Amino acid sequence: MILYIVIIPLFVSLLTPLFGMFNRKYAYFISLLGAIITFLFVIFTYKKVVTHGKEYYWFGGFEPPFGIEYVVDGLNLILLLIISFIYLLVIIYSKKSSEKEIEDKRLSLFYCLLNLFFTGILGIVVTGDIFNLYVFVEIASLSSYTLIALGPKRQSLMASYNYLILGTIGATFVLIGIGYIFMATGSLNMADIKSRLVPIYHSKMVRTAFTFITLGLCLKLALFPLHIWLPNAYAYAPSSVGALLAATGTKVSAYALIRVLYSVFTIDFDTNVIPFNKVFVFISLIAILAGSFLALAQKNLKKMLAYSSIGQIGYITLGIAMSNEISLQGSVLHIFNHSLMKCALFFIAGGIFYKKGIENINDMKGIAKEMPFTMAFFVIAGLSLVGVPLTVGFLSKWYLLLGAISQKYFFVIPVILISSLLSFIYIWRVIETAYFKDSNSTKSSSEMPLGMIAPVAVVTILCIYFGIFTELPLLLTKEAIRILIGN
Amino acid sequence: MLDLILSKYNYWISILLMMIGLYGMIAKNNLIKKIIGMNIFQVSVFLFYISMGKVRDGTAPIHWDRALIYDNPIPHVLILTAIVVSISTTAVALALIIRIYKNFQSIEEDQILKVLAREENKTDS
Amino acid sequence: MIDIFLLMFLVIFSIYSIHTEDLLSSVIVLSAFSFVMTIVWTRLNAVDVAFTEAAVGAGVSTIIFLSALSRTKRGEEKRVTKKINIYNLFAALIVIFTGSVLVYGTIDMPAFGDIEAPAYNVLAPRFIIGSMAELGIKNFVTSILASYRGYDTLGETTVIFTAGVSVVALLRRKGGT
Repeated sequence: MILYIVIIPLFVSLLTPLFGMFNRKYAYFISLLGAIITFLFVIFTYKKVVTHGKEYYWFGGFEPPFGIEYVVDGLNLILLLIISFIYLLVIIYSKKSSEKEIEDKRLSLFYCLLNLFFTGILGIVVTGDIFNLYVFVEIASLSSYTLIALGPKRQSLMASYNYLILGTIGATFVLIGIGYIFMATGSLNMADIKSRLVPIYHSKMVRTAFTFITLGLCLKLALFPLHIWLPNAYAYAPSSVGALLAATGTKVSAYALIRVLYSVFTIDFDTNVIPFNKVFVFISLIAILAGSFLALAQKNLKKMLAYSSIGQIGYITLGIAMSNEISLQGSVLHIFNHSLMKCALFFIAGGIFYKKGIENINDMKGIAKEMPFTMAFFVIAGLSLVGVPLTVGFLSKWYLLLGAISQKYFFVIPVILISSLLSFIYIWRVIETAYFKDSNSTKSSSEMPLGMIAPVAVVTILCIYFGIFTELPLLLTKEAIRILIGN
Repeated sequence: MLDLILSKYNYWISILLMMIGLYGMIAKNNLIKKIIGMNIFQVSVFLFYISMGKVRDGTAPIHWDRALIYDNPIPHVLILTAIVVSISTTAVALALIIRIYKNFQSIEEDQILKVLAREENKTDS
Repeated sequence: MIDIFLLMFLVIFSIYSIHTEDLLSSVIVLSAFSFVMTIVWTRLNAVDVAFTEAAVGAGVSTIIFLSALSRTKRGEEKRVTKKINIYNLFAALIVIFTGSVLVYGTIDMPAFGDIEAPAYNVLAPRFIIGSMAELGIKNFVTSILASYRGYDTLGETTVIFTAGVSVVALLRRKGGT
């Protein structure tokens, strides 16, 4: 069952260029079909995991650690749900948006790469084998380099090249780390490595392996000092690609980091053997503040959202670093919430660019009169980003605060409050320009086409829905963290 | 001391090579030069893996009646996969560079960044 | 003894390849670097990998580099600004730091060729025995590549496919078909 989650996008990616040769519309329909089937399989898996607790698949029937294993437990179930859902939305959204931004000749290849990207990240999420993880990281990275380079402006080429260089350094660091781990334990299966590592925690080899895998993943994650590739990559990529990278790309790296820290190594190693977690808390706090401050300084809407992403990534790593059950729950919740919010915001930024061709915030004067629904959704998603109660953003920040209190890290509280205030300021700047400044043109309503506004509406409604009816995300994340830390 | 050096020689050389490659990737200004650095960096990581697969007096990991000890085949398999990944990255990077050259008439990073900065100032003002 | 010299060659080639300003000779030296690497790997009994490196690393990648050079420029230009020194120093610092962490990791590594190393004693015995007994394949590398870890190979094929599609997508001409 879980095999098909990865195989279907791969199969679709093979079909799209083939059918795209006859008519580029086929490429879109096949991708849509593939996304729907993948989503259905994820739902099936969800039902199975909820009843049985764990779902696995052994490739070729070889038992781990000898063969490669796919495992789905609570944690990657959440990631699977969010990724397959966003997969579907991005495909729907990209029909109109990509037709405008990407040349006809490249369109079927664009869909092919989109499907390959999802093959890569879904593979990262379900695999239980650490070398297999590296292979899928590379599939996702390679396709994302090209997807970024297909952006409408020529800046996209340099953005893609910088990402390629830093991404390859990151991936190669991960490969070096895997080499050291393999040398120390002789195994490649994550669960097997975990049990074999415990007696040799004092080994310098293991510490080096830990350093390199963490560094490599932080490069992919764009944690603050290593973030330089991110803003340009998000801002100059095609709109739908910017949204999918912001919503899923970095989230998957965050997931991989949680896996490595808690499923390959243990809390004991992260906190007691080396003082990693304490250092990581401070780096995360700096990332939160720096991301928010830099976002304030941006004129380009997409770049502002990208810098805000860097701050939000800080929240996720903060939860990971505080390493108690509540903060980890907050972190996973934030992965979930931030995917929804940033997906909505990038979709909206893309929609404004689609309709008006403008990117700078200053040019958006009075745009709320022309695109009332779009800007209403922007307000909702923006408030969720700030963390106003009754939106999803509040929930994860609340859990992060609780986690900080239970860890007695009181200095975290003012940082979260300041950063929320800053995010309110930069979101307010857009709202103010859009609603309260007079536009030069007096055109009547010109909303995004239905195919673009429908995904935005769905995500924004979910932002509110999960903010009010919090049982499902809380239950899922609690269970996930219990399994993650429990064994 | 000599024993120590001999027992780690391969690893140290591969680390030295990695660092030469990494330096090329970070410090060089020419886009193609960076990719050359990337190649050296990755190939030396492969050397590190292959060195770890060697066993004293081992023969190649192919079934042979007179063999007593075989070398470790697992690193070889991993590296076969990684070599392909490396060449794929190189190919994409070079295709990207060709596009960059077409658009900017330059493959020097600082020149391109200067052009881009100028463009950005123009759109802002 | 010959191994030590071969590894020395590698260091010299890589430094030259990074340092020279002529991109063409840099690429050719990179190709020589790959060939020496092939010999080193053959000496280490990694024959399958050596084959692949000779074909892919020394062959295909040199061709790709040359075709890229033919469409761009041959020479490398020096940075004119004064920033150069700080920038290179910064890079050197990062590199020295990473290198020293890596060397720190080698301190309690099993010695080169150690038969007691965990890498040789956990998964490898099953693969070496199982290759003939379970699968009947003489080459252990093949049996792991195609059977035990066959899914990695599917991933590898997908990577090539991705690269192919990427190159076509990037280089497709506007007017052409």
